[in-house]
Amino acid sequence: MAIQQEKFDSLLKIQSRAELREQLNSGFDLTLPQAQQLTAHARSLAPAIKPLRLGIVHTFTSDLLDTWLDHAAALEGLELNTYHASYGVVVQEAHAKSGLTLHAPDATVLLLQREDMHPDLAKPLAGFNPEQQLSLRQESLAWIKNVLLQFRAQPIGLLIVSFLPPVLPTGPGLYDAQSQRSETAWWSAFKGELAEFMRSTIQSSLLLDMDEVAAHVGRGKGFFDWRMWYSARYPFAVSAARELARRIVVPALLSKHPKAKVIVLDADNTLWGGIIGEDGMHGIALGPEYPGNAYMDFQRRLLDFQQRGFVLAMCSKNNAADVQQVLTEHPHQLLRESHFAAKRVNWLPKPDNIRSLAQELNLGLDSFIFVDDSEHECAAVRSELPQVEVIRTPAKPILVPSCLDRVARLEVLSITAEDLEKTALYAQERQRKEFQESIGAGASGGTTDMRAHLAALGMRMNIGIDDVKAVARLAQLTQKTNQFNLTTHRYDERQVRELIDSADWVVAHFTLIDKFGNSGIVGLALFQLQTKGDALLETFLMSCRVIGREAESAFLHSMLRVLKERGVKEVRAAYAPTAKNGLVAQFLPEQGFEAIGDGHYKMALTADTVKTESAFPIVVQFDTLSGSH
Amino acid sequence: MSVFERLQATIASTLKVPADTITATTKDKDVPSWDSLGHLNLMMAVEQTFDVMLDVEDFANLKSVPTLLDYLKTQGVS
Repeated sequence: MAIQQEKFDSLLKIQSRAELREQLNSGFDLTLPQAQQLTAHARSLAPAIKPLRLGIVHTFTSDLLDTWLDHAAALEGLELNTYHASYGVVVQEAHAKSGLTLHAPDATVLLLQREDMHPDLAKPLAGFNPEQQLSLRQESLAWIKNVLLQFRAQPIGLLIVSFLPPVLPTGPGLYDAQSQRSETAWWSAFKGELAEFMRSTIQSSLLLDMDEVAAHVGRGKGFFDWRMWYSARYPFAVSAARELARRIVVPALLSKHPKAKVIVLDADNTLWGGIIGEDGMHGIALGPEYPGNAYMDFQRRLLDFQQRGFVLAMCSKNNAADVQQVLTEHPHQLLRESHFAAKRVNWLPKPDNIRSLAQELNLGLDSFIFVDDSEHECAAVRSELPQVEVIRTPAKPILVPSCLDRVARLEVLSITAEDLEKTALYAQERQRKEFQESIGAGASGGTTDMRAHLAALGMRMNIGIDDVKAVARLAQLTQKTNQFNLTTHRYDERQVRELIDSADWVVAHFTLIDKFGNSGIVGLALFQLQTKGDALLETFLMSCRVIGREAESAFLHSMLRVLKERGVKEVRAAYAPTAKNGLVAQFLPEQGFEAIGDGHYKMALTADTVKTESAFPIVVQFDTLSGSH
Repeated sequence: MSVFERLQATIASTLKVPADTITATTKDKDVPSWDSLGHLNLMMAVEQTFDVMLDVEDFANLKSVPTLLDYLKTQGVS
């Protein structure tokens, strides 16, 4: 549906990119000149545009995608600098001095066609019997695996791979889904096996499923522009180009913007229709009939976001008892008490409540996403807390379930075991705090009380060294940990893997277990072994979740013991101050390091400087070192 | 705005040139960015802006302002 001139003019007056994105989500078609005008406008808004370098390797014409890539990027506050490899050139770009590598992209996308993998894929798949289809799939996978390994060996950022869907529907037609030689089944199996390979072997990568894009916009007129395809080998209709551009820009931007961690939800007209304080338990719309069913679907969708690793919190202007009643008693309420990591249900201003939530959860405001139906509340938060991303719940109930689906920062590139446990971890933490208070070892307790409390927790630490299985989580930790972080070096999965594989680096991590549960992997130390029996502590970080239990000391000294046994004589370290890591300014001196000026420290490893396990109320165990050196 | 003015604005923004460089006689060879890719982008832009349906066969014949204006006239654009 084309956009009315008046409506288009109003878009050019919007002052926030988030609002602009929301407006453009309503399904308007855009002409090329309109897109270009909106791109220029989006670029001019605050906060200042950030650069994003993109590399494109392609076996069909892709240059015409640029307008839409620039547009998608501008809406997300980014300006693209795109390198296009020459048409049809693929593996030649996968070496150290290629144009692509020299461009140093933040993300590289491979726009491939199915036929690139194997000449037989140009023939009807249904012409091959099941055995032949299986070997064809194995040979095709071998081709793409080799290509991915070669590209991954170069520093070209996030590696995104995609295959163009066929221009025409399946060979067998309507019978395909049920056919023994089904094309769709073949491609599903292919994608599944490729995904497995990418998860296990290709770090920092993403399979961009173009079949999903085609399903989203509609294969017929929505995806392919046959005139462009047959005259210039450029496949995409405008709706496909817009959607594809978005799916390329969004994963790429996740490394550029602060990571989102918390979704703060209003209650009235967000989790249910109506106002609990006025309509009461039987008056709010939440149930199998319209519009309550739409709100139930939104709650169900929020469970999906939880599974991606996001934490849910609530911020509602209501009497606490009213909301509590819904959470505990309403038969159709899916999100119960245990689903919320924290809540603020009171009559205080929402910006203040959000600040308080940030403090309680020990998370930065720039990791918060706020969802509220009230324009007034959204405006208040936007103006007082500009770091918080604000999404206004649509007024129309049918639009509510999908209202978070286009928020870029709610996409993830990996899901780790810790992500799945997030809310449970916050619940555990609440229990620990309550326990601490109950035995009187709170703020007023002295050292003896604290010691008693820590001993009572029964803490055990498991240290893993050079553990390949932990790569995704360790990379995530380097990217997300801002406060307890000595040097704030950021690594992606590929880089962590390289350090693990290197004989000159020791990559150590720990998990902490106590009577309340397992924290998951919460600390990382990177030691670089240098000649002459020295080591450099290049990174030392820990999740805020486990501060105050001496875990950092126990971990550090355990690793120093390990290094001492390996013959390391001296360890050097550094503290690089940032706006967020004031917490660890004295960490190194406190652990016994000697300052040598300029933020640098050293410690000779002796029986006096390196503490034994009994110095801390934590029992330390090393994971069996399988496959490490 | 006249059809010419709308076409002028469309070509200018698609090919990223100042509007006043596009005159009633401008053809593709007069504008460096009106190369084969620029032309494809322009065909899409014209189609969307004027709500017309172009055929592949039309692409090759619409490489100048006069031919584009004639085409739009035959499509009833005013």
